[in-house]
This record gives sequence, C-alpha cells and structure tokens, in this order.
Amino acid sequence: MTVQATENVSTSYSQPSDRRGGFYTAKRFGTPLLVIAALGGLLLFLYSRGEPDKIEAFALNWDYMLAKIDEHIRISLFSAIVVALIAIPMGIVISRSKSRIVSAVVLGLANVGQATPAVGVIILLALTFGIGWATAVAALVIYGLLPVLRNTITGIAQIDPNITEAARGMGMRPLQVLFKIELPLAVPVILAGFRTALVFSVGVATIATFINAGGLGEVIVVGLKLTRPAVLLTGAIVVSCIALLLDWLAGLAEDALRPKGV
Amino acid sequence: MANKTGATIELLNVSKVYPNQPEPAVENFTMTINPGELVMLVGPSGCGKTTTMKMINRIIEPSSGSIKIDGQDILTLDQNQLRRNIGYVIQQIGLFPHMTIAENVAVVPTLLGWSKDKIRARVAEMLELVELDPSVFSNRYPKQLSGGQQQRVGVARALSADPPVMLMDEPFGATDPITRERLQAEFQQLQANIGKTIVFVTHDFEEAIKLGDRIAVLSKRSKIEQFDTPANILANPASEYVASFIGEGAALKRLALMRVDSAVESGNATGPAISRDENLRVALDSVVLNAGRPVPVVGGGRVSIESISAALGIDVSRLGQ
Amino acid sequence: MGKYDLSLIWPFFLDKLDEIIELSTEHVLVVLISVLLATIFGVSLGLFAWDKPLLRSASIATAGVILTIPSMALLALMIPTFGLGWVPTLIALALYSLLPIVRNTVVGLREVPEAVMESARGMGMSPLRVLLSVQMPIAWPVILTGLRVATQLAIGIASIAAYVAGPGLGVYIFKGLSMLGAKNALNFALTGTVMIIIIALLFDALFILIKRLTTSRGIRG
Ligand SMILES: Nc1ncnc2c1ncn2[C@@H]1O[C@H](COP(=O)(O)OP(=O)(O)O)[C@@H](O)[C@H]1O
Ligand SMILES: [Mg+2]
Repeated sequence: MTVQATENVSTSYSQPSDRRGGFYTAKRFGTPLLVIAALGGLLLFLYSRGEPDKIEAFALNWDYMLAKIDEHIRISLFSAIVVALIAIPMGIVISRSKSRIVSAVVLGLANVGQATPAVGVIILLALTFGIGWATAVAALVIYGLLPVLRNTITGIAQIDPNITEAARGMGMRPLQVLFKIELPLAVPVILAGFRTALVFSVGVATIATFINAGGLGEVIVVGLKLTRPAVLLTGAIVVSCIALLLDWLAGLAEDALRPKGV
Repeated sequence: MANKTGATIELLNVSKVYPNQPEPAVENFTMTINPGELVMLVGPSGCGKTTTMKMINRIIEPSSGSIKIDGQDILTLDQNQLRRNIGYVIQQIGLFPHMTIAENVAVVPTLLGWSKDKIRARVAEMLELVELDPSVFSNRYPKQLSGGQQQRVGVARALSADPPVMLMDEPFGATDPITRERLQAEFQQLQANIGKTIVFVTHDFEEAIKLGDRIAVLSKRSKIEQFDTPANILANPASEYVASFIGEGAALKRLALMRVDSAVESGNATGPAISRDENLRVALDSVVLNAGRPVPVVGGGRVSIESISAALGIDVSRLGQ
Repeated sequence: MGKYDLSLIWPFFLDKLDEIIELSTEHVLVVLISVLLATIFGVSLGLFAWDKPLLRSASIATAGVILTIPSMALLALMIPTFGLGWVPTLIALALYSLLPIVRNTVVGLREVPEAVMESARGMGMSPLRVLLSVQMPIAWPVILTGLRVATQLAIGIASIAAYVAGPGLGVYIFKGLSMLGAKNALNFALTGTVMIIIIALLFDALFILIKRLTTSRGIRG
C-alpha cells in the first residue's frame, strides 16, 4: 500500500485509490464487513432490549428509517452529481487558461473556503434564502465544489508536460489532447476529489436537518431532543454506514475507471 | 505524403526570442537540409539545439525568419496537419501511459483517419521494424517496458504514418551506454532503409559522427560554427571551438568512418582475415594485435600500417597504442 | 434579505465583543487541546507503526473510517457515554484529527531516502538514534502539514459541537438559526462563521511561520 501525505483538508479524506488490480485487498472487503458488523450489532442491540417505548417507536420503525435513509442518500448523491457537473468543466476551463494567476486565485479561494465551517454555510444560506431542501442542496454543492475543482486542476496540472508535448507534436488538436490524453490521465485524481465530495455530502446532509431538509440527521436530533440514546445511536450508526458504503462504492468505481497502465 | 525519400527543409534567418529573455535563444539560423539527409545538431547544453529543432514542427513558434518544407512555408500550414507529417521523438519519450504499445503507435494513423485493418497491419510492421515482437508487446503498457524498449516504441510511433521528416531530440540520451550503442546501430540500419529527412539533436559528438550524414556544430544562440560531413569536420575543424568539441583522438574517429576498401594494398599476409566492409579503426586494431604485421583482407589483398597511414594522410604507427 | 439589518453588524459586534472574545477563546482552546491529544497519540502511533506494514495499514485505515463518519454522527456517538459539553467535543475532535497526523507521520518517516538511512546506520547509529536525529528532522515538514490539516478540520467541526452543548463560536451560528426571522439572526450566524474563518486563517499563518522556523534550511523547499 502506498500512502500519500495529506496536503490539505480535501486530500485528507480520499486519495486516489491505490489498489493495484488486486481484488482480494483488505479495503475491498473490509468496508462491507465493517458495515455489516455495525448494522448487525445495532439490530442485535435494538432487538435485545425489547419493545421500544412510545417515543422511541416514532423513529425506531422500518418505514420511518427507510424513508430517512432514502432522503439522505438522494440528497447526497444528487448534490454530488451536481458538483461533478459544475466543478469538472470549471476545473478544465481554469486549467486551460494560460494565466497562472487564475489558478492561484482559485486555489487561494479554495483555502479560505476550506476554513469555512459547513454548518455556518448552511445556516447562513437558510437565513438568506429560507429553509428547505433546495437550500440544503445549495449548501452541499457549495461545500463539495472545492475538492472536485481542486483535484481537477491538480489532476491535469500534474501530467508530465513531455506527454502532452508529444501529443501536440503528433498533431493532436487541443481538444484531442484534452480528451484523449489529459482527462484519461487525470481521472484517478478527479475521482478521488469526487469521493471526497461524496463523503462531504453525506456529512453536510446530516447537518441539513437543522434547516428542515430531512435525512438521518433528523433521527439523531430526535434522539438528542427526546433523550433517547437508542434513537440517537441508530441515526448515527446508520448514517456512518452510508458514508462508508458510498466511499467504498466510489472507490470501486475509481478502480474500474482508472486507465490501465497508469 | 507517402514519399519515402524525405523532403527538403530550408530554414532562413530563423530567430527565437523567448518572452522576458534578454538574449535570443536562436539567432539568424540558416540551413538547407536535403531530402533523405540525416543532419545532426550538436553543441553544448543550452546552446539552442532543441529550440531550433522544435521550431520546425512549431512546438515553438519562431520569432522571425522562414521555414520551408518542400518549398512550402510551414507558417502558412495548419499546425496540426503539419505535425502529423513530421515524426517526433523526444528524450523523455512521452509515451502515453494509459495506452497500450499498439495504441501508442496507432495514434497518428488514427488521427489521419486510416482504416482499422490498415492501422493494425501498420502497427505490427512498425514494431517489427524496431525489433519488438508485436505478439509480445502490442498489448503491454509503457511501464511494462525497459527504457530501451520504450525508446524503440517512441521511434516506431514517430514513423508510423510514414512521415517524410523526423525530428529527434536526444532520443537515446536517457539510456545506458550499452543500450545506446545498440539503439544507435539499429537506428543506423533503419535509416539506411527508410531514408527520411531527419534533424537529430545531440550533445554527444561521438553519436553525431556515428549517425550523421552532415553535422552542424553549434555554439551559443545556435550559431553554426561548422556544417559539414563527419569526415571533413574531423579532418579540417573550422575553428578552435570545433576542434575542442572534437576533443582527443580525431584521427581514430576518422578511421572509424573509413572502409577497409580504401586502404587495401596488394601482397600476402598471415593472420585473421578482415572484411572489406569493416572500418579502418577495426583494421588498425587487427594489425596491432597481429604484432604490427599486415593482415589479409577477405577476397584478396592486405592492409598494413603503411597502407592505413597513406589512406588517412597521417602516420598511424603510434595511434594504435 | 429585507428581514435582516446587516448595517447593524458593527454595533452588534461592539456590543457583543466580550462574549465574542470569550467564545473565540473557547473555540481556540477546544481545538488546541484536541489537536494536542491527537498529536501525542497520532505521532506516537506513527513512530511505532511506520515500519510495520500491517499495523501501519490498520492504523491509517481505522483513522480513515473515523474521518468518513459524519461529524454530527460522531458527536452523537459520544453522548451516551460522555454526556454533553466539553468532554464529548474534545474526544470527537481528537479522533477526527488523527488521520492527517498518523498518515503524514508514517509517510514522512517512510519518505527518508534509503541511502540516507543506510549511511546513518553505517555510521553506527542505533535505530532510535536514526529515528530521532535523522528521520524526524527530515519528516518534520510533512508531519507539520498533517498537524495543520488536522487543526483546520478541528476548527470547522468544532462549530457543530455547540449543538451538543459544546463550547465555541458554533453557539452563535446556532443562535442565529434559532432566531430565524429575528432582526439579529443573520448578525449572530455571520459573526460566528466569519470569526471561525478568521481563526482558521490565523492558525494557517501560524503554521506557515512554525514551519519556516523549525525546518532545517537544508530541506526547506
Ligand atoms: N521556454 C523557455 N523560456 C525561456 N527560455 C528558454 C525556454 N526554453 C529554453 N530557453 C533558453 O533558451 C536557451 C536554449 O535552450 P535549448 O534550446 O533548450 O538548448 P539545448 O537544447 O541546446 O540544450 C537556453 O538558454 C534556455 O535556458
Ligand atoms: Mg535540449
């Protein structure tokens, strides 16, 4: 396993997957096993303590939980996809621009953005644009843009200039160089950014419950407000499992999409 | 475009000034390169060889002057069309790591819209040309090849669309000495068959002598100190600068460029026979190994210290030691 | 935006200055303590595990799992055991900060060129000696970057802690939310958020300074 150093908050989450085609790697099986163990343990705990009381029963039933899970995954995936649709083209345009200043400004902004707390963003947005699903999506998107944007720019910038020069020297047009050479080579880094955005999305979506956007944060908040640890634990464990699973799935996609030979 | 004989390249008063640089990197460079000729640009690091070469396929745009290929001003051509007709090999090779060897070699034919069958056949032909077995290497990725093998793929890739012109920037510079010798020998063989017009950049004078039809010795700002055949440069260096570049052992280097043919005299000799196609440096070595006595030549005649000295115009009796 | 009066932000700021300073101090304190805890644990773990492949992978993977858990969820998980307030906040933040610290310690120590290690050993240094006087100084900038990232993470996540009665500027952000529609709501949330950004940037500057002052001139980029 090759581990890379962490350079900033985005890269401290997901790094380009390092699984070299080895199918039987710990991570490929470790994550699902961990999730199964956590959910199994949770179920065992919930059933072993008997019938939930009236207050708990509000949250601890399959219909409610499945609805919350559905809400949570929907908002996370939807935002992550919007992020990809905005940030990847934007990153490409920025890396096309000859001026170093543009990328420097963007990366500088990214640093300030990184210092901005998610809960601040989401609540400020709610105060200005009102609460609800759309505002929550906006917050998730804003928060997820940075890692994908940054990784798109660095993913393209890190390509050996001799490779692109060889491509130009062979008569590829700029768009051909972009689509045949640069993007395929940047894919692992861009996808790592996307994974980070996905993990961010699941996390920020948990906070989105504060502005009435539903999701599993609601389960945690209900457990907190009504002092029912079982409810709180259920919400926390389930949302953690979702984050782990989405990260794992994105990792698999990354392995599948990574160009061979790189 | 399928002309196998290469094209004429004319550079006239070509200069390049990089932005924010006080001095031009190349100044008033003028040179005519004949079809099928292999011209070596040789000079110390930083003298402007690469810049000069890269202006021919407009990877670097000239600041002034004109460059013509077969009479056509390249600045009037579409630069991508131009580049598809110029093979390009750089020291760092620049193979595309996400493409297989076959895909790498197929890039320019694909850009030119060749049919799949034609491309497949061409790729196999090119790999064989550079002595890589297509059945073994086609589906490998660059990182699965040694440096020398990668460099051969680089040459195959540059040749794949049969361009009349090739530009090569220190193509063997990054390989170890033994691999380099092999690649040079193979390349010499290759060029004898394909006859491209080639501009070949190197800082290695030995390589220039070995491979070049003509050598341009360059100094700062790509100034041409001498432009002539290897034998003439060795025999008559135009200046101190060129002489210092040739370094020690010019006479031996010249011997390496002459065939045994030119020094055969009649008479008998004993010892291991030497072929007429060998170079005189090898012949001299044989004579020395034969305790200074003449050695026979295959097909009749012999070579001796005296006959080699006469051919070269210098007494070689002390050289072989 | 008509409901809110942003022109009042300056008077608001002056009016609440004492409280803002107190909350900022709390915020800085909670971050400092938790990152310190994470550093002690994370660097020790890194020093111990860097040359043991299994342990190394296991520690990094575990820390990675923790970081993947949404911050709200991690805070919530602390509550049944540790209750509300400072303690669960400190523990959650320290856990979050682990990954960048462990990972960068391991990478930093491993990145020391084999030739350097070999010559150090060849000169008769003991493994501990090699670690302390050769590897650590060379790995230091990388480890420091890990600390910087950990601090950034902790500063951001600490803002959520207010929801579990934790300390810090998050209090103002949630106050803004709870006053939704009231005149000062935006002032509260904005002050909280901006102060957090300022603290984060100040910490970043501090780390740049520390890096300059403590990195050997020979390896400074
Ligand atoms: N992109 C560039 N920008 C500015 N100066 C350059 C650039 N490329 C090369 N030079 C300068 O131009 C001169 C010639 O460089 P080059 O053609 O690469 O020399 P060579 O190939 O003979 O080593 C050198 O002084 C080099 O520093
Ligand atoms: Mg050069």
